[in-house]
Amino acid sequence: MTRVHRSVREYDVFARKARVDPLRHVGRVVAPDDDIAQAYARATYDEERWVEMVIVPREAVITVTAPGEE
Amino acid sequence: MGDKVSDLVLSLADCKQLLGLRYAEWCSSTPTLEADIAAAAMGLDDLGHSRVLAGCLSELGPDPRGPERESDPAAYRNVAFLDDTWTEWEQFVAANAILDTAFTVLIESLVEGEVEVLRTRLRKMLAEERYHFLHGRSWLNELGPTASVDQAWREAVEWFGPDGGELRRRLAGKLDRPEPKFEVDWSRWDPIRRRVQPGAIDADTFAMLRGLEERRYGISRAEAPARG
Repeated sequence: MTRVHRSVREYDVFARKARVDPLRHVGRVVAPDDDIAQAYARATYDEERWVEMVIVPREAVITVTAPGEE
Repeated sequence: MGDKVSDLVLSLADCKQLLGLRYAEWCSSTPTLEADIAAAAMGLDDLGHSRVLAGCLSELGPDPRGPERESDPAAYRNVAFLDDTWTEWEQFVAANAILDTAFTVLIESLVEGEVEVLRTRLRKMLAEERYHFLHGRSWLNELGPTASVDQAWREAVEWFGPDGGELRRRLAGKLDRPEPKFEVDWSRWDPIRRRVQPGAIDADTFAMLRGLEERRYGISRAEAPARG
């Protein structure tokens, strides 16, 4: 994929369909800033009428346990 | 603003229809896959907004759409920036950041205004337009000043009209940058099409809007198999 931006960040996208549901991971976007990441997340993951969608910069995620760890 | 509100709403509907089509034309040509998807999504949004706006016309007095719209591309009330397909990405960004935001500024003023049908039906557009604005502003910051930005901004000011001072201030405020320096020759301004420049949408786009292309490739009544 062509990358034209000077630097980009990866964002995880979380969403839910109803208030009683937990937020679940629906995908990722790559964007140069938080604003455009919101626009990309909303455009890319519009398969449901979400009541809530949030994005988190991947670098802010702290892994506590990961698959394959004993 | 002194104008007939139905004339203004039709111009907004025409601009949004053309903007939606121009966005859609770019949905596989932007610099990144994510922007391709955003172009498609924004195109669908603006085509939807155009339909809602056109649907409001029946409640705003006599319909300003005459028979000339079937034959004359210059009957469309769109800004000149949308007359032709954009050949450069910077034109997409200028339209996205400046013109789309200018249309939103007007929608905001209609939602705050006194016409009930517009107050209620246009509100949802503002939620969708928030993403167009974030997308346009970020790309504008990425590209920096361009000739296309100046041109789009000039056409936005023309579209607001000679009494559009408050809308101009709102547009510059939203974009958080000063309006470029230019002079508008208001003596040449067309109050129906809300533009100074002559010209009209390209022939292919006009044919598509009128459904002529579909008719050419569609099955005519004589060719259709008889139903038993």
